[in-house]
Amino acid sequence: MHSNGFFLKDVAGFLGGYYAFIAIMNGVASLILWRRKNQLGWAFVWAAVAGVMLILASLALSGSATLVPSLPLAARKLVNALSGPVLYTLGTTALLTVLFVFRKFFVKPMVAWTVLNALLILMGLSMADENFASIVMKPDNVPIVGLVFMLAFFTWVATSQAVVNDERIKQGLPPMEKLNDEKVLVWPDLVYTELICMVAVSAFLLVWALVLQAPLEEPASSVKTPNPSKAPWYFLGLQEMLVYFDPWYAGVVLPSMVVFGLMAMPYLDFNKKGNGYYSIEERKFSYLVYQFGFFELWITLIILGTFLRGPNWNFFGPFEYWTPYKVEVLNNVDLPQFFWVNLLDRPLPRAPQGAGTLVQVGTILLRESPGLILLGAYLVLLPPLLAVTVFRQFFAKMGFVRYMIMANLMLLMLSLPLKMILRWTLNLKYIVSIPEFSLNF
Amino acid sequence: MAEKKKMSVAEILAAARAKSDGGAAAPSASEPQASPERQAVARVEESSHVEAEARPKAKPAAKPAAATAAGGARLSVADILAAARAKKAEGGDGAVVEAAAKPKPAAADKPKPAAAAKPKPAAAASAPKTGVQRDTGSILAAARGGAKPGPVSKAEAPDVTAKLQAAAAKPKAAPVEKGAVARAAPPMPARPAKPAAKKDGEEDRRGFLEIAMGSFMAMGFTALSVTGGLFTLGLARFMFPNVLAEPPSRFKVGFREGFPAGKVETKFVPQYGVWVVNADFQGQQQIYALKTVCTHLGCTPNWLEAEQKFKCPCHGSGFYKDGINFEGPAPRPLERYAIRISDDGQLEIDKSKAFQEELGQWADPDSYVTV
Repeated sequence: MHSNGFFLKDVAGFLGGYYAFIAIMNGVASLILWRRKNQLGWAFVWAAVAGVMLILASLALSGSATLVPSLPLAARKLVNALSGPVLYTLGTTALLTVLFVFRKFFVKPMVAWTVLNALLILMGLSMADENFASIVMKPDNVPIVGLVFMLAFFTWVATSQAVVNDERIKQGLPPMEKLNDEKVLVWPDLVYTELICMVAVSAFLLVWALVLQAPLEEPASSVKTPNPSKAPWYFLGLQEMLVYFDPWYAGVVLPSMVVFGLMAMPYLDFNKKGNGYYSIEERKFSYLVYQFGFFELWITLIILGTFLRGPNWNFFGPFEYWTPYKVEVLNNVDLPQFFWVNLLDRPLPRAPQGAGTLVQVGTILLRESPGLILLGAYLVLLPPLLAVTVFRQFFAKMGFVRYMIMANLMLLMLSLPLKMILRWTLNLKYIVSIPEFSLNF
Repeated sequence: MAEKKKMSVAEILAAARAKSDGGAAAPSASEPQASPERQAVARVEESSHVEAEARPKAKPAAKPAAATAAGGARLSVADILAAARAKKAEGGDGAVVEAAAKPKPAAADKPKPAAAAKPKPAAAASAPKTGVQRDTGSILAAARGGAKPGPVSKAEAPDVTAKLQAAAAKPKAAPVEKGAVARAAPPMPARPAKPAAKKDGEEDRRGFLEIAMGSFMAMGFTALSVTGGLFTLGLARFMFPNVLAEPPSRFKVGFREGFPAGKVETKFVPQYGVWVVNADFQGQQQIYALKTVCTHLGCTPNWLEAEQKFKCPCHGSGFYKDGINFEGPAPRPLERYAIRISDDGQLEIDKSKAFQEELGQWADPDSYVTV
């Protein structure tokens, strides 16, 4: 479904205000830089951007559908054709890696401001696409758009302080937080701040509730599942995990392990540095593991589940129409099938009709032996192996129990991306598949 | 003691002010004098601070001035802190007196200087003179004197206020009297004598109570368990309702001719949650009833006629027409319900019986009807 005039007229008003907002934002930035007088070049740049945004705003508000600025159709088609779960995951991983490696560059205020402007303009241009706008402007999804921007902002704040601190520590200076440790009182300083925040957030929520209508649907029916059927946005990471695992694992074990792991973190951490101030260099391992789990395995999965999963839980490009008739070949098989049928070219071991329970269990174990051996090696053999190689120092510092807990938590966390990769590359459904007892991994 | 709640700075100051304003005769609400324990503690503290008085005494010029400065009228927190800071900055005792005295010149005329002695500046005088301006926390700590740093709990408050008062009220209070008060702490009440050992067979009032209580307890617990048991039975009764509003588990869906080969009949889904399929399964043309519950997480899949598959909208599981899972996370095939040809020739489905492929139950002739 391609953009049409009716839709553009609806969205044009919003886009006009949106571009005007970006113009004001850049105008203010330009004014502040002008007053400071040390970055006059940038002040001119942002003033120019503000001017361009004003032109875009007037184009959007011109009343003519053809003048509303939008991405060229060819570009949208290219994005749709390229996007898929594999590219999305690899792409976000690459993007986050680049941001991390070149963090010293990206935390510079002017660079960060440029990135923010680019993102906002890209979103404005995409918004002129009906399919994109219908997903992004759904009342359910608006908070997630806000989440993406807020998360980027807070990560930028923390990372920029960490970069400054790392630089100071390298020079032998104390971190910034140590310079200004004037204590303030809870009452009145903190409580007043909280009161003001409370009033502001209440006002914001009130406006939100008035402006964005509740996404009411038809009366519920136990036999009618909406298509696509989505969890609340904060659980969409879980729902995405469930695509790759049995419910008991992705719905029970992994979430419990997430909570348990978060609670265990302070007890596993033996690094005394970085206490009370931001630093990346001093806590590289903790930082990377946490950010991988949070950004890669939680946030990107929420974004994937919210914006890119359509009817029948198929993957849709950002500018693609959500048709329930999209055909995707997703056939997959279990590991025993691979091993016995494809590799050894013989049928799956099957207990003879009317066999006793012991024989049946034995046959199942024989059938699943490749998966069980793999799983055992992964969870039992790998931790000691890592202890004598990669994590030698960790093992020495943490001791047996703490090390084993950390290693197993990490391996369980890594089981998700590993399983995703196996599904994409080998069409592997389950490594261990015992449907007789609802035990699948 | 009962209230172990931490006191805020404001409360400590208020308590100190109330003490100095009202004097010993008018106890303030924040420091209930009625509590004997507290009084005792306060007295002990006072006595231990008798020698501490020597310090302020060394600066006789400072003392009365500080006292008169605060005389009668209250000093605000800001004033106290300003005085303390000024003192720190100049490093002289005369300065603090001046600073404290300046805001209230009229107060100097007031006739009752000692009774309302302001403790803070006096106590601040004993703080170390660093000459460096410090943060609020350490100034407050210094103002509190030698007391323990950090927040003060209500239980400790009498100590602090008494200490401060003792340090400030020195010019008025006669040291002899003070010592007498300290020495006159009331003795601990004597421990009551142990009741004599009961003789065998002797019933006293306490014994009667024990027997009575025992039986009351027994009665109470018996009643409780009986009530609990009846309640549980009542709850269990809910499992067997008189009227069942759900559709019957056995129902007729029509004659075989209504289900042409290769067709998935979806019209029974809303009411009964079942697809009736006429398809080839392992070389045999069968009519069977598939349960509309995804074996992954229980959503209701949709039948996609164009693609000839059942597709679940929740996590993308896909099933062939015969119910075998082939894509997505569903670990096992859809389940079948029992189906048979009833006496009138119609197909009858029985939802009370389900057949699972992975357990080899689809071979059961109850799970299908041959065409």
